[in-house]
Amino acid sequence: MSYSTFNRKRFDSLKEPMFFGENVNVARYDQQKHPIFEKLIEKQLSFFWRPEEVDLSTDRKDFQKLEQHEQHIFLSNLKYQTLLDSIQGRSPNVALLPIVSLPELETWIETWSFSETIHSRSYTHIIRNIVNDPSVIFDDITVNAEITKRADSVSKWYDDLIELVNLYNTLGLGTHLVPGKGEVTVSMPILKRALYLTLVSVNVLEAIRFYVSFACSFSFAERTLMEGNAKIIRLIARDEALHLSGTQHIINLMNSGKDDPEMADIAQACEKEVYQIFMEAAEQEKEWASYLFKDGTMIGLNAEILSQYVEYITNIRMQAIGLDPVFPTKQNPIPWINAWLVSDNVQVAPQEAEISSYLVGQIDNDLDDSDFDDFDL
Amino acid sequence: MKTQSSTTSKLLHRVLLNGEEIIVSEDEPLLTQLERAGIQIEYQCREGFCSSCSLKLLRGNVAYPVEPMAWVQSGYLLACCAIVKSDIEIAFFVE
Ligand code: FES
Ligand SMILES: [Fe+2]
Ligand SMILES: [Fe+2]
Repeated sequence: MSYSTFNRKRFDSLKEPMFFGENVNVARYDQQKHPIFEKLIEKQLSFFWRPEEVDLSTDRKDFQKLEQHEQHIFLSNLKYQTLLDSIQGRSPNVALLPIVSLPELETWIETWSFSETIHSRSYTHIIRNIVNDPSVIFDDITVNAEITKRADSVSKWYDDLIELVNLYNTLGLGTHLVPGKGEVTVSMPILKRALYLTLVSVNVLEAIRFYVSFACSFSFAERTLMEGNAKIIRLIARDEALHLSGTQHIINLMNSGKDDPEMADIAQACEKEVYQIFMEAAEQEKEWASYLFKDGTMIGLNAEILSQYVEYITNIRMQAIGLDPVFPTKQNPIPWINAWLVSDNVQVAPQEAEISSYLVGQIDNDLDDSDFDDFDL
Repeated sequence: MKTQSSTTSKLLHRVLLNGEEIIVSEDEPLLTQLERAGIQIEYQCREGFCSSCSLKLLRGNVAYPVEPMAWVQSGYLLACCAIVKSDIEIAFFVE
Protein backbone atom coordinates (compact mmCIF):
# COMPACT_ATOMS: atom_id res chain seq x y z
CA MET A 1 0.00 0.00 0.00
CA SER A 2 2.01 2.99 -1.21
CA TYR A 3 1.72 6.39 0.38
CA SER A 4 -0.43 8.99 -1.32
CA THR A 5 0.11 12.71 -0.70
CA PHE A 6 -3.52 13.37 -1.54
CA ASN A 7 -5.67 10.33 -1.07
CA ARG A 8 -8.51 10.43 -3.62
CA LYS A 9 -10.70 7.92 -1.85
CA ARG A 10 -13.87 9.14 -0.16
CA PHE A 11 -14.05 8.23 3.49
CA ASP A 12 -15.14 9.67 6.81
CA SER A 13 -11.94 10.81 8.52
CA LEU A 14 -13.80 10.86 11.86
CA LYS A 15 -13.98 7.07 11.64
CA GLU A 16 -10.32 6.46 10.87
CA PRO A 17 -7.89 5.19 13.51
CA MET A 18 -4.94 7.42 14.51
CA PHE A 19 -2.52 5.30 12.48
CA PHE A 20 -2.58 2.74 9.66
CA GLY A 21 -5.95 3.78 8.28
CA GLU A 22 -6.37 5.90 5.16
CA ASN A 23 -3.67 8.43 4.26
CA VAL A 24 -4.92 11.89 5.17
CA ASN A 25 -6.29 13.96 2.30
CA VAL A 26 -7.92 17.28 3.22
CA ALA A 27 -6.14 19.13 6.03
CA ARG A 28 -9.24 20.25 7.89
CA TYR A 29 -9.50 21.14 11.54
CA ASP A 30 -13.15 22.16 11.87
CA GLN A 31 -13.93 18.67 13.11
CA GLN A 32 -11.71 16.27 14.95
CA LYS A 33 -11.92 12.65 15.98
CA HIS A 34 -9.60 13.44 18.89
CA PRO A 35 -9.90 17.15 19.78
CA ILE A 36 -6.90 16.88 22.12
CA PHE A 37 -4.50 17.09 19.19
CA GLU A 38 -6.07 20.32 18.00
CA LYS A 39 -5.67 21.70 21.53
CA LEU A 40 -2.03 20.65 21.63
CA ILE A 41 -1.39 22.41 18.32
CA GLU A 42 -2.99 25.63 19.58
CA LYS A 43 -1.04 25.49 22.81
CA GLN A 44 2.26 24.77 21.05
CA LEU A 45 1.69 27.69 18.68
CA SER A 46 1.01 29.97 21.65
CA PHE A 47 4.37 28.89 23.12
CA PHE A 48 6.40 30.05 20.12
CA TRP A 49 9.75 31.53 21.09
CA ARG A 50 13.12 32.28 19.50
CA PRO A 51 16.44 31.39 21.10
CA GLU A 52 18.04 34.69 20.06
CA GLU A 53 15.63 36.51 22.36
CA VAL A 54 17.50 35.10 25.34
CA ASP A 55 20.62 37.03 26.31
CA LEU A 56 23.56 34.74 27.03
CA SER A 57 26.31 37.30 27.57
CA THR A 58 26.94 36.46 31.23
CA ASP A 59 26.96 32.72 30.52
CA ARG A 60 30.23 33.02 28.65
CA LYS A 61 31.93 34.53 31.69
CA ASP A 62 30.27 32.02 33.99
CA PHE A 63 31.44 29.14 31.82
CA GLN A 64 35.05 30.27 31.89
CA LYS A 65 34.94 30.39 35.68
CA LEU A 66 33.60 26.86 36.01
CA GLU A 67 35.95 24.20 37.27
CA GLN A 68 37.14 21.57 34.80
CA HIS A 69 34.76 18.86 36.02
CA GLU A 70 31.87 21.33 36.02
CA GLN A 71 32.61 22.23 32.40
CA HIS A 72 32.57 18.51 31.63
CA ILE A 73 29.14 18.17 33.25
CA PHE A 74 27.77 21.22 31.48
CA LEU A 75 29.09 20.34 28.04
CA SER A 76 28.25 16.64 28.20
CA ASN A 77 24.73 17.50 29.24
CA LEU A 78 24.45 19.98 26.40
CA LYS A 79 25.74 17.40 23.92
CA TYR A 80 23.18 14.91 25.14
CA GLN A 81 20.40 17.49 24.77
CA THR A 82 21.65 18.30 21.27
CA LEU A 83 21.59 14.62 20.35
CA LEU A 84 18.06 14.09 21.68
CA ASP A 85 16.64 17.09 19.87
CA SER A 86 18.47 16.19 16.66
CA ILE A 87 16.51 12.95 16.78
CA GLN A 88 13.22 14.56 17.80
CA GLY A 89 13.44 17.30 15.17
CA ARG A 90 13.07 14.78 12.38
CA SER A 91 11.95 11.38 13.60
CA PRO A 92 8.29 11.99 14.44
CA ASN A 93 7.92 13.32 10.88
CA VAL A 94 9.85 10.56 9.15
CA ALA A 95 8.38 7.71 11.19
CA LEU A 96 4.83 8.83 11.84
CA LEU A 97 3.66 11.00 8.94
CA PRO A 98 3.58 8.13 6.40
CA ILE A 99 1.20 6.15 8.62
CA VAL A 100 -0.97 8.79 10.31
CA SER A 101 -4.66 8.89 9.39
CA LEU A 102 -6.15 11.90 11.15
CA PRO A 103 -5.57 15.49 9.98
CA GLU A 104 -5.37 16.89 13.52
CA LEU A 105 -2.83 14.27 14.57
CA GLU A 106 -0.82 14.77 11.36
CA THR A 107 -0.54 18.48 12.11
CA TRP A 108 0.24 17.86 15.76
CA ILE A 109 3.18 15.67 14.69
CA GLU A 110 4.47 18.39 12.37
CA THR A 111 3.99 21.13 14.95
CA TRP A 112 5.66 19.01 17.61
CA SER A 113 8.63 18.22 15.40
CA PHE A 114 8.97 21.83 14.33
CA SER A 115 9.23 22.97 17.92
CA GLU A 116 12.13 20.53 18.35
CA THR A 117 14.00 22.32 15.60
CA ILE A 118 13.76 25.49 17.72
CA HIS A 119 15.35 23.52 20.56
CA SER A 120 18.16 22.42 18.29
CA ARG A 121 18.71 25.97 17.12
CA SER A 122 18.92 27.13 20.71
CA TYR A 123 21.80 24.71 21.41
CA THR A 124 23.71 26.32 18.56
CA HIS A 125 22.95 29.70 20.12
CA ILE A 126 24.24 28.50 23.51
CA ILE A 127 27.35 26.75 22.18
CA ARG A 128 28.31 29.69 19.99
CA ASN A 129 28.17 31.89 23.04
CA ILE A 130 30.29 29.81 25.36
CA VAL A 131 33.05 28.44 23.12
CA ASN A 132 35.07 29.84 20.26
CA ASP A 133 34.85 26.78 18.05
CA PRO A 134 31.39 25.11 18.13
CA SER A 135 32.68 22.25 15.96
CA VAL A 136 34.69 20.86 18.86
CA ILE A 137 31.40 20.28 20.69
CA PHE A 138 29.22 19.22 17.78
CA ASP A 139 31.78 16.84 16.31
CA ASP A 140 32.16 15.00 19.59
CA ILE A 141 28.47 14.03 19.55
CA THR A 142 29.04 11.50 16.78
CA VAL A 143 32.27 10.03 18.17
CA ASN A 144 32.06 10.16 21.97
CA ALA A 145 31.26 6.59 23.06
CA GLU A 146 29.11 7.63 26.01
CA ILE A 147 26.98 9.82 23.75
CA THR A 148 26.69 7.42 20.82
CA LYS A 149 25.61 4.67 23.20
CA ARG A 150 22.64 6.86 24.08
CA ALA A 151 21.98 7.61 20.41
CA ASP A 152 21.63 3.89 19.65
CA SER A 153 19.15 3.24 22.39
CA VAL A 154 16.89 6.13 21.47
CA SER A 155 16.99 5.79 17.67
CA LYS A 156 16.68 2.03 17.33
CA TRP A 157 12.90 1.91 17.85
CA TYR A 158 12.32 4.70 15.36
CA ASP A 159 14.64 3.03 12.85
CA ASP A 160 12.90 -0.36 13.16
CA LEU A 161 9.51 1.23 12.59
CA ILE A 162 10.75 3.29 9.64
CA GLU A 163 12.23 0.23 7.98
CA LEU A 164 9.03 -1.79 8.39
CA VAL A 165 6.87 1.08 7.12
CA ASN A 166 9.14 1.51 4.09
CA LEU A 167 8.68 -2.16 3.23
CA TYR A 168 4.95 -1.87 3.81
CA ASN A 169 4.69 1.15 1.53
CA THR A 170 6.73 -0.35 -1.29
CA LEU A 171 6.02 -4.08 -1.11
CA GLY A 172 2.90 -4.30 1.04
CA LEU A 173 2.02 -6.92 3.61
CA GLY A 174 3.72 -10.31 3.37
CA THR A 175 7.14 -11.87 3.75
CA HIS A 176 9.81 -10.13 1.74
CA LEU A 177 13.38 -11.01 0.93
CA VAL A 178 15.40 -7.96 1.93
CA PRO A 179 19.04 -7.76 0.77
CA GLY A 180 21.35 -7.95 3.75
CA LYS A 181 18.49 -8.86 6.08
CA GLY A 182 16.96 -12.05 4.76
CA GLU A 183 13.25 -12.63 5.10
CA VAL A 184 11.26 -9.89 6.80
CA THR A 185 7.60 -10.36 7.56
CA VAL A 186 5.39 -7.31 7.40
CA SER A 187 1.97 -7.78 8.96
CA MET A 188 -0.43 -5.32 10.53
CA PRO A 189 0.19 -6.63 14.07
CA ILE A 190 3.97 -6.42 13.51
CA LEU A 191 3.67 -2.85 12.22
CA LYS A 192 1.40 -1.80 15.07
CA ARG A 193 3.66 -3.39 17.63
CA ALA A 194 6.67 -1.50 16.23
CA LEU A 195 4.62 1.70 16.35
CA TYR A 196 3.51 1.15 19.94
CA LEU A 197 7.02 0.42 21.20
CA THR A 198 8.37 3.42 19.31
CA LEU A 199 5.84 5.68 20.99
CA VAL A 200 6.81 4.28 24.38
CA SER A 201 10.47 4.94 23.68
CA VAL A 202 9.66 8.47 22.51
CA ASN A 203 7.77 9.07 25.74
CA VAL A 204 10.78 7.78 27.66
CA LEU A 205 13.02 10.13 25.68
CA GLU A 206 10.94 13.24 26.26
CA ALA A 207 9.45 12.56 29.67
CA ILE A 208 12.44 10.94 31.41
CA ARG A 209 15.75 11.41 29.57
CA PHE A 210 15.11 15.08 28.94
CA TYR A 211 14.09 15.73 32.51
CA VAL A 212 17.33 14.23 33.77
CA SER A 213 19.16 16.68 31.53
CA PHE A 214 16.96 19.55 32.78
CA ALA A 215 18.00 18.71 36.34
CA CYS A 216 21.65 19.21 35.33
CA SER A 217 20.97 22.48 33.52
CA PHE A 218 19.03 23.90 36.46
CA SER A 219 21.56 22.77 39.05
CA PHE A 220 23.93 25.40 37.62
CA ALA A 221 21.26 28.06 37.75
CA GLU A 222 20.51 27.12 41.37
CA ARG A 223 24.01 28.45 42.04
CA THR A 224 23.24 31.53 39.88
CA LEU A 225 25.49 30.19 37.11
CA MET A 226 24.64 29.78 33.42
CA GLU A 227 21.32 31.55 33.92
CA GLY A 228 20.81 32.42 30.27
CA ASN A 229 21.10 28.75 29.51
CA ALA A 230 18.53 27.99 32.21
CA LYS A 231 16.13 30.50 30.67
CA ILE A 232 16.33 28.65 27.37
CA ILE A 233 15.97 25.27 29.06
CA ARG A 234 12.83 26.50 30.82
CA LEU A 235 11.29 27.31 27.45
CA ILE A 236 12.34 23.91 26.15
CA ALA A 237 10.91 22.22 29.24
CA ARG A 238 7.57 23.93 28.73
CA ASP A 239 7.44 22.54 25.18
CA GLU A 240 8.50 19.09 26.34
CA ALA A 241 5.69 19.00 28.89
CA LEU A 242 3.31 19.42 25.98
CA HIS A 243 5.05 16.82 23.85
CA LEU A 244 5.02 14.22 26.58
CA SER A 245 1.35 14.93 27.14
CA GLY A 246 0.70 14.31 23.44
CA THR A 247 2.48 10.97 23.51
CA GLN A 248 0.74 9.97 26.74
CA HIS A 249 -2.56 10.68 25.01
CA ILE A 250 -1.67 8.57 21.97
CA ILE A 251 -0.50 5.69 24.16
CA ASN A 252 -3.50 5.89 26.50
CA LEU A 253 -5.90 6.08 23.56
CA MET A 254 -4.25 2.98 22.13
CA ASN A 255 -4.41 1.16 25.47
CA SER A 256 -8.10 1.97 25.79
CA GLY A 257 -8.97 0.35 22.45
CA LYS A 258 -11.30 3.28 21.79
CA ASP A 259 -9.33 4.37 18.77
CA ASP A 260 -8.37 1.01 17.29
CA PRO A 261 -9.49 -2.16 19.10
CA GLU A 262 -6.59 -4.21 17.70
CA MET A 263 -4.14 -1.72 19.16
CA ALA A 264 -5.41 -2.47 22.68
CA ASP A 265 -4.58 -6.17 22.23
CA ILE A 266 -1.14 -5.30 20.91
CA ALA A 267 -0.52 -2.94 23.83
CA GLN A 268 -1.53 -5.71 26.21
CA ALA A 269 0.68 -8.25 24.47
CA CYS A 270 3.82 -6.12 24.70
CA GLU A 271 3.34 -4.87 28.22
CA LYS A 272 6.41 -6.74 29.42
CA GLU A 273 8.58 -5.06 26.80
CA VAL A 274 7.15 -1.70 27.74
CA TYR A 275 8.24 -2.22 31.34
CA GLN A 276 11.64 -3.24 30.01
CA ILE A 277 11.98 -0.09 27.92
CA PHE A 278 11.29 2.06 30.97
CA MET A 279 13.62 0.10 33.23
CA GLU A 280 16.45 -0.06 30.72
CA ALA A 281 16.22 3.65 30.05
CA ALA A 282 16.36 4.36 33.77
CA GLU A 283 19.47 2.18 34.06
CA GLN A 284 21.08 3.98 31.12
CA GLU A 285 20.31 7.34 32.66
CA LYS A 286 21.92 6.25 35.92
CA GLU A 287 25.04 5.16 34.02
CA TRP A 288 25.01 8.52 32.32
CA ALA A 289 24.83 10.20 35.71
CA SER A 290 28.01 8.42 36.82
CA TYR A 291 29.72 9.51 33.62
CA LEU A 292 28.69 13.13 34.19
CA PHE A 293 29.99 13.21 37.74
CA LYS A 294 33.03 10.97 37.20
CA ASP A 295 35.54 13.77 37.91
CA GLY A 296 33.68 15.50 40.70
CA THR A 297 30.26 16.51 41.89
CA MET A 298 28.51 19.83 42.25
CA ILE A 299 26.77 21.56 45.11
CA GLY A 300 23.28 20.11 45.21
CA LEU A 301 23.77 17.40 42.61
CA ASN A 302 25.78 14.22 42.31
CA ALA A 303 25.39 10.84 40.61
CA GLU A 304 23.43 9.38 43.49
CA ILE A 305 20.91 12.20 43.80
CA LEU A 306 20.47 12.31 40.03
CA SER A 307 19.92 8.55 39.96
CA GLN A 308 17.22 8.91 42.60
CA TYR A 309 15.57 11.53 40.45
CA VAL A 310 15.74 9.11 37.50
CA GLU A 311 13.82 6.55 39.56
CA TYR A 312 11.32 9.08 40.81
CA ILE A 313 10.51 10.63 37.44
CA THR A 314 10.35 7.19 35.81
CA ASN A 315 7.72 6.16 38.38
CA ILE A 316 5.67 9.29 37.60
CA ARG A 317 5.80 8.72 33.86
CA MET A 318 4.98 5.03 34.13
CA GLN A 319 1.92 5.78 36.20
CA ALA A 320 0.78 8.32 33.60
CA ILE A 321 0.35 5.58 30.99
CA GLY A 322 -1.26 3.09 33.31
CA LEU A 323 1.84 1.13 34.40
CA ASP A 324 2.80 0.35 37.96
CA PRO A 325 5.75 2.35 39.25
CA VAL A 326 8.71 -0.01 39.66
CA PHE A 327 11.26 1.99 41.65
CA PRO A 328 11.46 2.53 45.40
CA THR A 329 12.05 6.31 45.18
CA LYS A 330 8.64 7.85 45.86
CA GLN A 331 9.72 11.38 46.83
CA ASN A 332 11.43 13.93 44.61
CA PRO A 333 15.06 14.15 45.80
CA ILE A 334 15.48 17.54 44.06
CA PRO A 335 12.18 19.34 44.72
CA TRP A 336 13.76 22.65 43.67
CA ILE A 337 13.59 21.50 40.05
CA ASN A 338 9.85 22.20 39.87
CA ALA A 339 10.28 25.91 40.52
CA TRP A 340 12.52 25.95 37.44
CA LEU A 341 10.24 23.76 35.37
CA VAL A 342 7.09 25.72 36.06
CA SER A 343 5.79 27.71 33.11
CA ASP A 344 5.69 31.44 33.68
CA ASN A 345 2.41 32.04 32.00
CA VAL A 346 0.10 30.51 34.53
CA GLN A 347 -3.18 32.17 33.76
CA VAL A 348 -5.79 29.62 34.65
CA ALA A 349 -8.10 30.73 37.41
CA PRO A 350 -10.41 27.74 37.71
CA GLN A 351 -12.66 29.30 40.35
CA GLU A 352 -13.62 32.01 37.85
CA ALA A 353 -15.02 29.57 35.36
CA GLU A 354 -18.71 28.97 35.28
CA ILE A 355 -20.01 26.33 37.56
CA SER A 356 -22.01 24.75 34.74
CA SER A 357 -18.80 23.77 32.98
CA TYR A 358 -17.61 21.65 35.88
CA LEU A 359 -16.51 18.20 34.92
CA VAL A 360 -16.96 15.85 37.75
CA GLY A 361 -14.58 12.99 38.41
CA GLN A 362 -16.07 10.49 40.81
CA ILE A 363 -14.90 7.47 42.66
CA ASP A 364 -17.58 5.12 43.85
CA ASN A 365 -16.93 4.82 47.55
CA ASP A 366 -17.24 8.01 49.44
CA LEU A 367 -15.33 8.67 52.61
CA ASP A 368 -16.93 7.28 55.61
CA ASP A 369 -17.09 9.61 58.58
CA SER A 370 -15.34 6.95 60.63
CA ASP A 371 -12.21 7.64 58.61
CA PHE A 372 -12.06 11.00 60.25
CA ASP A 373 -13.27 10.09 63.70
CA ASP A 374 -10.95 12.31 65.66
CA PHE A 375 -11.27 15.16 63.28
CA ASP A 376 -13.22 18.23 64.28
CA LEU A 377 -14.61 20.44 61.55
CA MET B 1 -23.00 7.57 46.84
CA LYS B 2 -23.12 11.35 46.80
CA THR B 3 -23.79 12.72 43.36
CA GLN B 4 -25.20 16.07 42.32
CA SER B 5 -25.31 17.37 45.87
CA SER B 6 -21.55 17.83 45.64
CA THR B 7 -21.77 21.29 44.03
CA THR B 8 -23.96 22.65 46.78
CA SER B 9 -22.35 20.93 49.74
CA LYS B 10 -20.39 22.69 52.46
CA LEU B 11 -17.32 24.48 51.23
CA LEU B 12 -14.75 22.75 53.40
CA HIS B 13 -13.60 19.18 52.89
CA ARG B 14 -11.18 16.82 54.51
CA VAL B 15 -8.29 15.37 52.53
CA LEU B 16 -6.71 12.19 53.85
CA LEU B 17 -3.16 11.57 52.62
CA ASN B 18 -0.82 9.01 54.14
CA GLY B 19 -2.74 9.12 57.41
CA GLU B 20 -2.53 12.90 57.55
CA GLU B 21 -5.65 15.08 57.38
CA ILE B 22 -5.80 18.45 55.70
CA ILE B 23 -8.79 20.77 55.43
CA VAL B 24 -9.34 22.27 51.99
CA SER B 25 -11.87 24.66 50.51
CA GLU B 26 -13.52 24.76 47.10
CA ASP B 27 -12.04 28.17 46.40
CA GLU B 28 -8.73 26.97 45.02
CA PRO B 29 -7.29 23.88 43.37
CA LEU B 30 -6.03 21.11 45.62
CA LEU B 31 -2.35 21.64 44.75
CA THR B 32 -1.96 25.13 46.22
CA GLN B 33 -3.78 24.11 49.38
CA LEU B 34 -1.62 21.03 49.90
CA GLU B 35 1.49 23.11 49.33
CA ARG B 36 0.31 25.61 51.93
CA ALA B 37 -0.05 22.70 54.32
CA GLY B 38 3.62 21.95 53.72
CA ILE B 39 3.11 18.92 51.50
CA GLN B 40 5.42 18.57 48.53
CA ILE B 41 3.57 17.66 45.34
CA GLU B 42 5.15 17.17 41.93
CA TYR B 43 4.16 19.82 39.38
CA GLN B 44 5.29 21.54 36.24
CA CYS B 45 2.69 23.45 34.22
CA ARG B 46 0.16 24.11 36.99
CA GLU B 47 -2.50 24.41 34.33
CA GLY B 48 -3.53 20.88 33.56
CA PHE B 49 -1.49 19.75 30.57
CA CYS B 50 1.66 18.04 31.83
CA SER B 51 0.13 15.37 34.14
CA SER B 52 3.00 15.70 36.66
CA CYS B 53 0.66 16.51 39.54
CA SER B 54 -1.39 13.35 39.08
CA LEU B 55 -2.39 11.76 42.38
CA LYS B 56 -4.31 8.61 43.17
CA LEU B 57 -7.90 9.40 44.18
CA LEU B 58 -8.91 6.57 46.47
CA ARG B 59 -12.27 7.93 47.60
CA GLY B 60 -14.39 11.02 47.10
CA ASN B 61 -15.09 13.50 44.32
CA VAL B 62 -13.23 16.27 42.60
CA ALA B 63 -14.29 18.54 39.75
CA TYR B 64 -12.51 20.46 37.01
CA PRO B 65 -13.82 23.95 36.19
CA VAL B 66 -12.00 23.67 32.87
CA GLU B 67 -11.37 20.29 31.28
CA PRO B 68 -7.65 19.57 31.75
CA MET B 69 -5.62 18.86 28.63
CA ALA B 70 -3.68 16.05 30.24
CA TRP B 71 -5.04 12.53 30.16
CA VAL B 72 -6.51 11.79 33.59
CA GLN B 73 -6.29 8.07 34.37
CA SER B 74 -9.40 6.68 35.96
CA GLY B 75 -8.96 6.70 39.72
CA TYR B 76 -6.54 9.66 39.57
CA LEU B 77 -6.84 13.42 39.84
CA LEU B 78 -4.76 16.35 38.65
CA ALA B 79 -3.94 18.35 41.77
CA CYS B 80 -3.16 21.63 39.97
CA CYS B 81 -6.66 22.06 38.64
CA ALA B 82 -8.91 19.78 40.68
CA ILE B 83 -11.44 21.38 43.01
CA VAL B 84 -12.23 19.09 45.90
CA LYS B 85 -15.98 18.46 46.11
CA SER B 86 -16.27 16.07 49.04
CA ASP B 87 -14.07 14.54 51.67
CA ILE B 88 -11.41 12.65 49.74
CA GLU B 89 -8.62 10.19 50.30
CA ILE B 90 -5.57 10.45 48.06
CA ALA B 91 -2.15 8.81 47.65
CA PHE B 92 1.05 9.57 45.76
CA PHE B 93 1.57 6.23 44.09
CA VAL B 94 -0.36 3.01 43.78
CA GLU B 95 1.09 0.65 46.32
S1 FES C 1 1.05 20.56 37.11
FE1 FES C 1 0.82 20.11 35.02
S2 FES C 1 -1.06 19.00 34.97
FE2 FES C 1 -0.90 19.68 37.01
FE1 LIG D 1 12.90 19.10 22.35
FE1 LIG E 1 10.01 17.16 22.56
